[in-house]
Amino acid sequence: MESKVLKPILAVYVGLFILFLYGPFIVLGILSFQQGPEGGPQFPILSWSTYWYQHLFGLTPPSRIAPLPVGEALVRSLTLAFMTMVTATVLGVMAAQAFRKRFRGAGVVFYLIVLGMMVPGVLTGLGTSLLANNVVGIERHWWSTAFLAHVVYTFPFAFLVMLAILNRFDGSVEEASWSLGVSPITTFRKVTFPLIFPGVLSAMLFAFTLSFDEFPRTLFASGRDQTLPLAIYGTFSVEIHPNIFAFGVMTTLFSFALLSVYGILMGLSVRRAKKMAMQEDIA
Amino acid sequence: MTQSDPIFRLEGVTRRYGNLTALDGIDFVAEDNSYIALLGPSGSGKTSLLRVIAGFETPDKGRIWFQGRDITDLPAHERGIGFVFQNFALFPHLTIFENVAFGLRHGATKVPDAEITDRVRASIDMVGLSGLEDRNPDQISGGQKQRVALARSLVMQPKLVLLDEPLGALDANLRERMQTELRAIRERLDVTFLHVTGSETEALAMGDRVAVLDAGRIIQHGTPDSIYDSPAVSDVAQFLNRFNMFEGSLKDGMFHGAFGAVSVASARPNDTDVYAIRYDRTRIFDADASDLPGPALPVRYLASEYLGSSIIFLFETADHKTVEVDHHLSLGEPRDLTVGQNYVLSWDPAQAIVFGKESAR
Repeated sequence: MESKVLKPILAVYVGLFILFLYGPFIVLGILSFQQGPEGGPQFPILSWSTYWYQHLFGLTPPSRIAPLPVGEALVRSLTLAFMTMVTATVLGVMAAQAFRKRFRGAGVVFYLIVLGMMVPGVLTGLGTSLLANNVVGIERHWWSTAFLAHVVYTFPFAFLVMLAILNRFDGSVEEASWSLGVSPITTFRKVTFPLIFPGVLSAMLFAFTLSFDEFPRTLFASGRDQTLPLAIYGTFSVEIHPNIFAFGVMTTLFSFALLSVYGILMGLSVRRAKKMAMQEDIA
Repeated sequence: MTQSDPIFRLEGVTRRYGNLTALDGIDFVAEDNSYIALLGPSGSGKTSLLRVIAGFETPDKGRIWFQGRDITDLPAHERGIGFVFQNFALFPHLTIFENVAFGLRHGATKVPDAEITDRVRASIDMVGLSGLEDRNPDQISGGQKQRVALARSLVMQPKLVLLDEPLGALDANLRERMQTELRAIRERLDVTFLHVTGSETEALAMGDRVAVLDAGRIIQHGTPDSIYDSPAVSDVAQFLNRFNMFEGSLKDGMFHGAFGAVSVASARPNDTDVYAIRYDRTRIFDADASDLPGPALPVRYLASEYLGSSIIFLFETADHKTVEVDHHLSLGEPRDLTVGQNYVLSWDPAQAIVFGKESAR
């Protein structure tokens, strides 16, 4: 009885959810194939073309529409996201590892770390910039102050992911390794790390995508050279052309590629995790 | 080394978790090259004791000596003490071969590859797993995992291996086979096994020596038959699960219980007055029998359990206490009993063990 009413409602709900999730992207995707250079962000499409994609790579004859100033910003953002990913993940793993043992003040430290993701981004960005300019007296750069702001932001995510993974981790394999005369450091490299690798991958993905997208913190903290989100935002203030949409499609495809790599690596290591789970079941 | 040299020694080892005292000043000396079974109910601190000896936990007080050296402050990986976990704790991401080779490959001393291969193969062969080297831990059975865990430990040639309820995760059939094998493997190597178990049959069957642990203290330590025949305190008799235990009071050499008053030749010091008689020394008589060998305990027959070589008869006393009688079939056919019928149990008072607050006499 109940499911006769509930199921259709839930189905509609899920449908709407997916529509709102992917709707904007589909619209952008359609508009990116607008005719150029005179077509704009409007429906219906004048005629289908790949003009804006060619425009993006400078393959079109010169026109009044300037090429998107995103090349350097893209490289910067990728570099920044990579740096952030590595740093935040290493810190996250180390911090989560520390939390496996109860220590004095563990509760306070936990909330201090997690607060990093709660604090409004604009405030963090502004604070970072004030701290750099007025207190410490250094110049702001995407690779220094913005990098710090990104690490502070993404580290709690990496930390929480690793905490969840280590929570389920059966420490007896580490003890077994110690009892075989293997030092704690080698044990971590040869036993713990391979087994928590799926979690590390997730933490890396979180940190990378959060940093790559990050806007409010970067706005104030990055100084003169802009990251990709800032550069894109900058182009809005002039006039919006479908070349932005084409670029959006490209970056989304890039993200999907990243996710696929993640998925493949995950698939490989989940097989290991399954083995571990089976072993735990017997215990 | 002769058998009487101690391999390890505990001096007043105490371990607390908050308010809970898991280990309460344990003194213990273990002989080299022996099989020691540590028997204790759950919560008695037996796993804590193993973890303290292994170095996974540090004692709050007391010292631990191993091969004549104080190892209390040594980290686990520098102790050279093997550990076999109840859940085996195999490395799931490595093959059986690499599991066994792990300590040799990654330990402090570099071992040449050729030697690793030889030792690992010999170790795998010893536990009877040749041919499974390239499998992963999820592709072998529970009993095989147990053997891998053992081989992985023994390949390091430790002088002491701690086994934490190693047979607990195996089914009954396999458990008995592994009991025999564990003993055989140990005898071939010059190594001491400290085997923790909650099963009294396992402890008595396997140990050259048995130590009984209760509430963080070792309450008796000796050979299996000395423990079986002469439990030092009533708690030990209780764990052995071979005695009918009666509460009552001991006064002036007389024990007053559900079976009347019996004169007692000697009693062992204990916190309470308890009268214990082994299941297989308790005998069944008709309710109106007159030629009883000792005290008369009126009971009602409940049921029987057939165990192959013997039958256990279950009775109930007037105050609803279950009493067991173990009749060994080699002693002849058991009597036919009617369920619900009243009988009398009796025994030779000389075979009873009495524990009392008023001990000496």
